[in-house]
Amino acid sequence: MRTKLITLTAALALLTQSVPAAAPTTGAAAKNYKLSGSPTAPMTLEVYTDFECPSCRNLYIQVLPSFTAEYVATGKVQLLHRDYLLETMHKYTRTAARYANAAGQMGKYDLVSKQIFTTQGDWSQNGNIDAAVAKVLTAAEMTKIRDIVKNDTHLDDTVTSDMAQGNKDAVNQTPTLVVVKNGKRTKIDGFLPYPILKSYIDQLLAK
Amino acid sequence: MKPHHWKWLLLAGRLGLAGIFLAAGIAKLREPWAQFAVSLYGFKLLPDDMLEPIAKTLPWAEVALGVAILSGIWLRWFALLGSLIITLFLGVLIRSYAMGLQVDCGCFGSGEALGPMTIVRDSTMLLLGAAVTFGAFRIRRS
Repeated sequence: MRTKLITLTAALALLTQSVPAAAPTTGAAAKNYKLSGSPTAPMTLEVYTDFECPSCRNLYIQVLPSFTAEYVATGKVQLLHRDYLLETMHKYTRTAARYANAAGQMGKYDLVSKQIFTTQGDWSQNGNIDAAVAKVLTAAEMTKIRDIVKNDTHLDDTVTSDMAQGNKDAVNQTPTLVVVKNGKRTKIDGFLPYPILKSYIDQLLAK
Repeated sequence: MKPHHWKWLLLAGRLGLAGIFLAAGIAKLREPWAQFAVSLYGFKLLPDDMLEPIAKTLPWAEVALGVAILSGIWLRWFALLGSLIITLFLGVLIRSYAMGLQVDCGCFGSGEALGPMTIVRDSTMLLLGAAVTFGAFRIRRS
């Protein structure tokens, strides 16, 4: 009996050790940090961006804040960020996406994404995304985010699935918006000024 | 060349010109109007409040002009109007290219980055429009 107990305890200890203390969130749960708004919203706006693309920065800074306030916060539209990395043109974009997605696992996706886009002009020169992100997170949070960026082998899973969906949507540039309503996906390529986006979304909501 | 040869040539040119306008209009109408508004915005020529009305009406105008040219009614005037419109588009394209704007042409729907070939193609379209206009006036007089 005692031998069995010792064996069981040892087995449990081994099992406990094999599970990382902070297992990376992957799959459906990991997608949640890129999705905002009410699940009952009649429409979803999916936004494909590349963190190093200047037009994506303009969309993120000039358009999405107003859009979020008027449509996402009011439950009219869900907003889903999707990574579509143009790595042949942008050598730091994957690292930027890793920082954003690591922040997503810590519940800081919006804050860090905004910071990465805002400081795009700086880190796109030298690749120092860490320094840009460090300006909006605490030292403890930075330690954790660096650990995730460095060690989480599943961190790029959402990027892979986003890009697969992007290829299905025939995305060929960033930003690209996909409006999803009643299962129908309507794609709009390129930067859209807010008044135009607003007018277009209002028409779709009214239908 | 005999007179009836000119008529056949004019008919071919007319069909070609009508096809261009129909293809351009229908391609835009198959996409959300906001897509064409994105292209118009990229040219940095129109005030923002003009983007929506133009994005919504121009494709229909192109289709209407295509149908009018196809019908052959008042061909001289519709071919002239078509040529003037192509001249306007070509001017916008050349200006944008000279300014170094990286813009989706939007000419036949989305997905065509403005480049030298776009300008060559539109110049060829203008030659066709001018030839049809000239031919229509010439045949009318003879």
